[in-house]
Amino acid sequence: MIVTRDLTVTYRPGLPPALIDVSVEIESNTVTCIIGPNASGKTTLMKAIAGIIEYRGRILIDGKDARELGRELHKMVAYASLVDTARGTMASRVIHFLLSSLYPVKRGFWDRSEDVELVVKAARRVGVEHLLDRRLDELSAGELQRVVLAGALVREPKVILLDEPDAHLDIAGKVWLSSYLKSLSKGHTIVVSTHDVLYALNTCTYYVLLNRGRVVFVGAREDLVSSKKLLEEVYGVSFEVVDIGGEKLLIAKYA
Amino acid sequence: MSAPLILIAGLLWLTIATSGDQPNFIILYRVSRALSSLLTGFVLAASGCMLQSALRSPLVDHYILGIGSGALFSTYIAILLVGYSLPHVTIASVVGGLIALSLTTLLAEKMSGSDIAYVLAGLGVTALFTGLASFTQFFVISRYQYAVFLMLGSFSIATLDKAIYALIPVGLVLAGYALLAKELNVLLYGDDYSRQLGLDPRRVRATTSILAGVASSITVAYFGLVGFIGLVSPHIARLLLKTPDNRVVIPASSTIGSILAYSADLLSRSIAVYTMSEVPAGSILFLVGAPFFLVILLARLAGSSK
Repeated sequence: MIVTRDLTVTYRPGLPPALIDVSVEIESNTVTCIIGPNASGKTTLMKAIAGIIEYRGRILIDGKDARELGRELHKMVAYASLVDTARGTMASRVIHFLLSSLYPVKRGFWDRSEDVELVVKAARRVGVEHLLDRRLDELSAGELQRVVLAGALVREPKVILLDEPDAHLDIAGKVWLSSYLKSLSKGHTIVVSTHDVLYALNTCTYYVLLNRGRVVFVGAREDLVSSKKLLEEVYGVSFEVVDIGGEKLLIAKYA
Repeated sequence: MSAPLILIAGLLWLTIATSGDQPNFIILYRVSRALSSLLTGFVLAASGCMLQSALRSPLVDHYILGIGSGALFSTYIAILLVGYSLPHVTIASVVGGLIALSLTTLLAEKMSGSDIAYVLAGLGVTALFTGLASFTQFFVISRYQYAVFLMLGSFSIATLDKAIYALIPVGLVLAGYALLAKELNVLLYGDDYSRQLGLDPRRVRATTSILAGVASSITVAYFGLVGFIGLVSPHIARLLLKTPDNRVVIPASSTIGSILAYSADLLSRSIAVYTMSEVPAGSILFLVGAPFFLVILLARLAGSSK
């Protein structure tokens, strides 16, 4: 379980905070979606939990203060983002990228056969084992998205934070990812940020809605669907509730 | 890291074996000269590789970044002040090299921090310190007759003392390799990526650039501006090994650097030696390295708009 207490993040003095007093609880063994418009603080919240950026307030992971976890934090928590992953300028290959993801759990200077086994296992789980020898700068955005996901899995962390993992995936990829994350959530805490409310409703169990750095909604799927008004206010568009096979979903209306 | 060391030992043996029954002082000079070129190539190629990974720019080495000309200028200043003594020029070159490196980094980060920004900032800093060095050179020559050789890069001014002193930068790059090769592999994929793995990218970048900067500066104080070995060798190593993995690329690059410097020195004392005495090894490397640099720059800028 991840608990944040009064989390505040300011990137630069003088700028308005990117997160303001965010207190949320994220259950283990679930897929939790962080939704909200652009610049609402989704990525910032994930980066704070992953220990990438400085913050005020506290973050507890399974009851332990994240600041006191040190190296353990990076063994337990993985953050994956297509945007933040450089393709490597020097003819980098997928296998090399995935091996570098083992850094927090790796002992010794050279790669052992166990390390390579972990990498191949993670690649197989997300269907990129055929790409292992390909250069990163030759992959399509969709392929790279899967490789980045494999990079988060490779050290077998408890908490997996995925920043817009559905971006650049084709529809088959999105459907696969949705069911894969659900199966992965048994034994893991999965946090996903996405721009796509419909995708979130099809994928997640719990929802955190952010607006301008503040939490404006936390709850389960039914609660989110019945908070249509709030969503319309936050996003500035109208939503329609549709019933598909007994499941209520929200679809944004286009003019 | 054992491959380059075996190579160095092998070429040294060859130098001695081919010297026949020359007088001892000639054999000693040849050995010093061979050792100097081998160690300098080793250091420059390892530093170039480390700088390229740390700054995530395949277009740089100690020369392009201005470290070389910064070190050269401060070596000249030291010679003007106290004459040419190995401990003094060693310290001076480090100071000058690090000042130039900080200046380039500061300017490049202000521009955008991109690989091209480092080339442009380095160009400016190189021009500045080369200008200062040329200006000072007239005064330096009266105190150290080989000052021009330092500007051009040459192993003809090798002595056993210098070759032994050159073990200092060798030690530095070996330490850098052992401590940072694994970390540099992570850094290749971005700062946030490194942080989520528990690695502070600024610490790795600063430590690596300082170590590589200090090591390459010291070679400038002894053998002058030997450009492009640090740029070319890592590229050849990556091309041959088909990986950017610094754990294998740094040793391979060092081996290639040693071979390049040794060959350039061999050429410098073989070609044209009857008509115009020696061509400095540095000039030969510039002739080979500059077109290479233009090719990779062209590939980088023509290939994409990234």
